[in-house]
Amino acid sequence: MESRRNSARVFAAGLFLLSLLCSSPAFANELRFLTFKPPTMRVWERAIAIFEAQNPGTKVVLELGPHSSTEFHDLVTQKLRNRDPSLDVFFMDVIWPPEFVAAGWALPLDSYFPVAEREKFLRAPIVANTYRGRIYGAPVFVDASMLYYRKDLLQKYGFAPPATWPELVRQAQTILERENDPSLSGFSGQFKQYEGLVCNMMEYIMSNGGALVDETGLTSALDEPKARAAVRFVRDKIVGEIGRKGMLAYQEPESLAVFAQGKAVFHRNWPYAWEISNDPRQSKVSGAVGLSPLPYFPGGRSVSTLGGWQLAISRFSRQPELAWKFIAVMTGEQVQKEIALAMGRGPGRARLYRDPEVLEKNPQFAQLVEIVARAVPRPRTPVYAPLSNIMQRYFSAAIAVPDSNIEQLARIAARDMNRVLDLLRDHAQP
Amino acid sequence: MNESPWVALRYLFCALVLIGLFFVFPILDSLRLSFFRLILAFPWLGEKFVGLENYRDLFTDPIAFKALLTTLVFVAVTTSLEVTFGLGIALVLNETFRGRGLLRALVLIPWAIPTVVSSQMWRFIFNDQYGVLNAFLPDALKASYGAPLADPELAPIAIMIAEVWKTTSFAALIILAGLQSIPDELYEAGSIDGMSSWQQFRNITLPLVKPALLLALLFRTIDALRVFDLVFVMTQGGPADATNVIQYYGYKKIFAEGMVGYGSAVAVGIFIVSLVLSLLYIRTVGARLLEAEAK
Repeated sequence: MESRRNSARVFAAGLFLLSLLCSSPAFANELRFLTFKPPTMRVWERAIAIFEAQNPGTKVVLELGPHSSTEFHDLVTQKLRNRDPSLDVFFMDVIWPPEFVAAGWALPLDSYFPVAEREKFLRAPIVANTYRGRIYGAPVFVDASMLYYRKDLLQKYGFAPPATWPELVRQAQTILERENDPSLSGFSGQFKQYEGLVCNMMEYIMSNGGALVDETGLTSALDEPKARAAVRFVRDKIVGEIGRKGMLAYQEPESLAVFAQGKAVFHRNWPYAWEISNDPRQSKVSGAVGLSPLPYFPGGRSVSTLGGWQLAISRFSRQPELAWKFIAVMTGEQVQKEIALAMGRGPGRARLYRDPEVLEKNPQFAQLVEIVARAVPRPRTPVYAPLSNIMQRYFSAAIAVPDSNIEQLARIAARDMNRVLDLLRDHAQP
Repeated sequence: MNESPWVALRYLFCALVLIGLFFVFPILDSLRLSFFRLILAFPWLGEKFVGLENYRDLFTDPIAFKALLTTLVFVAVTTSLEVTFGLGIALVLNETFRGRGLLRALVLIPWAIPTVVSSQMWRFIFNDQYGVLNAFLPDALKASYGAPLADPELAPIAIMIAEVWKTTSFAALIILAGLQSIPDELYEAGSIDGMSSWQQFRNITLPLVKPALLLALLFRTIDALRVFDLVFVMTQGGPADATNVIQYYGYKKIFAEGMVGYGSAVAVGIFIVSLVLSLLYIRTVGARLLEAEAK
């Protein structure tokens, strides 16, 4: 008897699991929105309230994904690969559009998002969302990397913010020597083996006149002298001399914590770090933080990595018109302004960077808009993910050991990248 | 008692359906995919049958080879440490003393914590600026701020420590069960014969607990081969690929890069390695287990 009851129980559990697999949770009056948890949930709630008031009878179902871009990518692509019709609107990192377009996952938005409307947004993210002549995303957040520095320390030693990387190293060395504080380090950046490492290294390489891939986009440029020299500089000077080895395990939060605790002279990060490093509850250097474009090498120019998040519509959504209406709210003036005011993040809309109310709360936006205008996207190719993994492996191996063989590592990385890029050449999209 | 085999099958039906759905089907599908070229970024290529091409690539892939090596070193070091420490813990817990029940429960805590949580914890412990590890270091060493996860030589050791900390108690649990099945009479007889406690351990405990030791070793080996979450949370394979274990490599191929065919070949490769290792264990260990049972 006991075993029969047990088997019935197991059978019921099995049926339950099967029913979970077969059921489709999408209803006509629901709009599914996949997002990561924003810094201030209130803004999303307001946007949803506005949208639901405009479209009575429709409910936005919020699905929270992981914070890390790589993990969010895994989740979104899994849903899109399975042609999940219960996904309507999702966030897209600035590096994804070519991949999502090639895979046929993102819906072209040209009919909803006319050119006249696009012109009201910053140019860099609009370009990043355009692939093969069509647009696939509407920018919500815009990011560009910048240099944070300790205004108090630089003033104390009579330094202006450094224009070049060698100057930054010299200033840091002087300050470290004179301050004689063993807990202070010269620089704090993101050098763990992950996507952020590619952003950091691209800034050094391109500000030295080098590149990750050449102009054709089909050949690696890592094995060029200028690219190798920049990598060597990071290994010997940034990590080897003024920074700490611990940076090789840092992503953004860890590196920001070091700066906000007053333990670093210079810090490379995205705009969000301004808010946190100037918040007296979270930061010991509040009010002493300076901001400038990233330095460059003599003969080069300052290069910031373009980052940021866009909203896109799934090709498998059954209600693209409704989905666009939601995106229109999220990228509309009102919500965009709240993003700027409440989150301290750079919005997609260009006008807000001149808005007095926004500028009063976020004085750094005046500089941000100039930096974004010059920000450089990472290589725009559908095979970016495999390329990024090869580059992460190379950069990490090159800077983690003081006597790494950069020539040999660069050669291998370039060869591996070219193999992936050959795939693109051999199997060109029809 | 003389019911037809259909009755048995009816009882097994649900289990078979679930196993088929969640184990057999995915394994067979991975096997099938490993013979295809399926790249998510190139949907217009479709699923193209390429025979053994993915496997040819896998055998000449130095990164996969290094990842396999990293994994095997991880398995060898962690399982031997876990079984050694596990035996020590089990021997202590097998003694009668006040608070034994409480201690037995406490020992299991690391094992009860989800790996993702404990990995996050160890990541903080190893952090160079605010990690607990550096707080314990003498001042002379503190000046250089040890950062194990930033060092290609120390990072693999750091993840091994996290793994051993977490799963030693599992080994201890199995070994403790083995210890408890040793009849007290044997020790009584040993004492009467004038055996020292070391002699009792060598001649009574060790031979009789061996089946449990081997069982713990088998479980831990298979489990350690699948190491993934520790690396995912603590290092993401870095620095310099030093902790890029094979499961993580395969995961990145499929989920991050969209190379479904090649990633499936990696997965099948891992499957074959663990199958061969399990069979080897079961042949050698299993035979001895049966011998021990027969005695």
